[in-house]
Amino acid sequence: MQKTSTQPGFASRYWNMKRDQIQHGWALAKRNKVCYLFLAPYAILFFTFFILPIGTSIFYSFTYYNILEPARFIGLQNYINLILQDEVFLTAIKNTFVIAVITGPVGYILSFLFAWFINELPKWLRAVAVVIFYAPSIAGAAFTVFSIIFRGDAYGWFNSILMEFGLIEAPRLWLTDPRYMMTIVIIVSLWMSMGTGFLSFVAGFQGIDRSMYEAGYVDGVRNRWQELYHITLPSMKPMLLFGAVMSITSAFNVSDVPRLLCGYPSTDYAARTVVTHLFDYGFSRFEMGYASAIATILFLIMILCKKAIAGLLGRVGT
Amino acid sequence: MSEINTVKSNGTLTLINGKKYRGRLEANETGAAFYLRGKTEPMVEWHYTRLHRMDNIRRGGTTTQITVILKDESRYVFELDQGLKVYNHMDKHWADKPVTPRTRGDELHRLAELRGEKIEVPKKHLIKRRHPNRSIAGDIGIYLLLVIVGIAMVFPLVYLLGSSLKPLDELFRFPPPIWPSHPTMDNFSDLFVTMGQSYVPFSRYLVNTVFITAAGTFGHLVIASMAAFVLAKFEFPGGKTFFAVVTTCLMFSGYVTGIPNYLIMSRLGMIDTYWSLILPAFAAPMGMFLMKQFMEGLPTALIEAATIDGASTFGIFWHIVMPNVKPAWLTMIIFSVQGLWNTSAATVIYSEAKKTLVYALQQIQAGGIARTGQSAAGQVIVVAVPIIIFVLSQSRILETMASSGIKD
Repeated sequence: MQKTSTQPGFASRYWNMKRDQIQHGWALAKRNKVCYLFLAPYAILFFTFFILPIGTSIFYSFTYYNILEPARFIGLQNYINLILQDEVFLTAIKNTFVIAVITGPVGYILSFLFAWFINELPKWLRAVAVVIFYAPSIAGAAFTVFSIIFRGDAYGWFNSILMEFGLIEAPRLWLTDPRYMMTIVIIVSLWMSMGTGFLSFVAGFQGIDRSMYEAGYVDGVRNRWQELYHITLPSMKPMLLFGAVMSITSAFNVSDVPRLLCGYPSTDYAARTVVTHLFDYGFSRFEMGYASAIATILFLIMILCKKAIAGLLGRVGT
Repeated sequence: MSEINTVKSNGTLTLINGKKYRGRLEANETGAAFYLRGKTEPMVEWHYTRLHRMDNIRRGGTTTQITVILKDESRYVFELDQGLKVYNHMDKHWADKPVTPRTRGDELHRLAELRGEKIEVPKKHLIKRRHPNRSIAGDIGIYLLLVIVGIAMVFPLVYLLGSSLKPLDELFRFPPPIWPSHPTMDNFSDLFVTMGQSYVPFSRYLVNTVFITAAGTFGHLVIASMAAFVLAKFEFPGGKTFFAVVTTCLMFSGYVTGIPNYLIMSRLGMIDTYWSLILPAFAAPMGMFLMKQFMEGLPTALIEAATIDGASTFGIFWHIVMPNVKPAWLTMIIFSVQGLWNTSAATVIYSEAKKTLVYALQQIQAGGIARTGQSAAGQVIVVAVPIIIFVLSQSRILETMASSGIKD
């Protein structure tokens, strides 16, 4: 009896609360009309070129669409084909994961470690070191120099060094032999991994309040590792998450490196990644529906990775 | 040392048994005292000669928490409201300078001197080194590692520069030298000759890229800053959600959205026009994200004061906020330039006359081994621009990146 009499009361109170919230929100929105005006140009462009594509991609992934004919709904067929029939896609997924698992975490940890080491340097040296470490990723397409370094003939620098020391007798085709391609793609990706996240770390280290280290020293922090774990890491959490987002981005979007170094398509598809596969179907074969399914899978993987990392970072230094 | 005045700060004093008192801390060069709110007599008082270690206060800067440890091992923790500025000449980078700490010994000597006595207390320095808790072996290890990895990082770029300066016979010498023995600019002049003979002159590609980069960056700066301003400084329904979406979209750079973007642009009739590169650049999430995070650091009082003076929102944005976030402009500019300058845009632009520099260079590279020198020269031109901009604006960029974190 008691319960039934409180139930409608609760519901109506809940409803009243919701209504108040909405009214309050509406009043707030009205008072800040000008905010929406400021946001509008950016929001419209952002919606058109960043949100809409994701929606479109998900929509077309359930259709057969080749641009010439109107899209035809085919349900999950694209996904089924991708996973069950497309062997090249499986190679691509495997390659992307190998690259992501190695360059993602390793690149992330390396950028953090080197940002930390650089922070120990005197100020003028620090500026030089930041430029040296950040240059490869800001230089964009500079990695194509690796096509000269790893060139398949004896004039390639790497071949000539190995031959000089007698480690190999004849030049090897580093960029066209399926056995070496992935290793080289990973090396080059690591070379470029000191990106935006690295900058964020360097800046984060400089921003930590010095008196925290002082207090730490007084409280008995005896070496740099203790200082890192107890003082530095907890105050850098936001930068750590930002850096993680950046390294997920670069690890899963590897496509220029294999495309420009190992050829497109590469021998036996040995250096194919999900993104080059997507390019192949989208821009060479114009199977937009199929390409959209690939993109959708990539979105999902990246969002899940970000969630997982945010969860892990929540526990650091506590 | 004599410049130290009495400084005051409101805050909370926590005793070791957990009791907390609200009040005011005053410190000067001889000692510190804590006054309960509204009282004129100090609740506790310390003289520096009695302090086991007062380095925290004495070495100052602005700090929000101070631990005081007395000789008898009793501890006091101060949580300060505004922070206590102990030196009136605030020393921002104290850690970069050699520190001669004032210790108990120093203090006793100083007081004895004032009294005109001589005392036999050793001047024991507690902190001798810049970073007291660092091992020298570790320092050496770090320097070595940085030098080795630094060389590995810079080697490919040096090799690229070397290759672009090599004459033909050195490009195909065995073993290949890293740096040419007879550097020449031939590759650069050859590049211009090759490009000059092509259907579309080299200068056209350059103008295309410069135009796209300049227009895209300028629009991005204005439009994204406007959005960042309201997101950072106003509370309105939908603002937080919108920003969370932008943060997630940081992950989806160009490649993954390439296909649907192409479809949308073809609907809008933007394929094969400059707009297909410029408009998406306006809405790049990275620049907006960094700008918003940086603007959050601006004091709200600045904006409130201007509002009371009757300035319009746009007036505040243009005359007050924008001049105060110049470091963030530079950062936005460099990220935008980096993206646009390196774009090859092979998928959205077909006409030869509208193609970008990077695309043209990729075509030269496709010329194969015979064009090695020229393509290296072209790469050097493309690579130099963003690196030079970064070198010139490094400190400003780092200032912006300090607020780049994502709070979960």
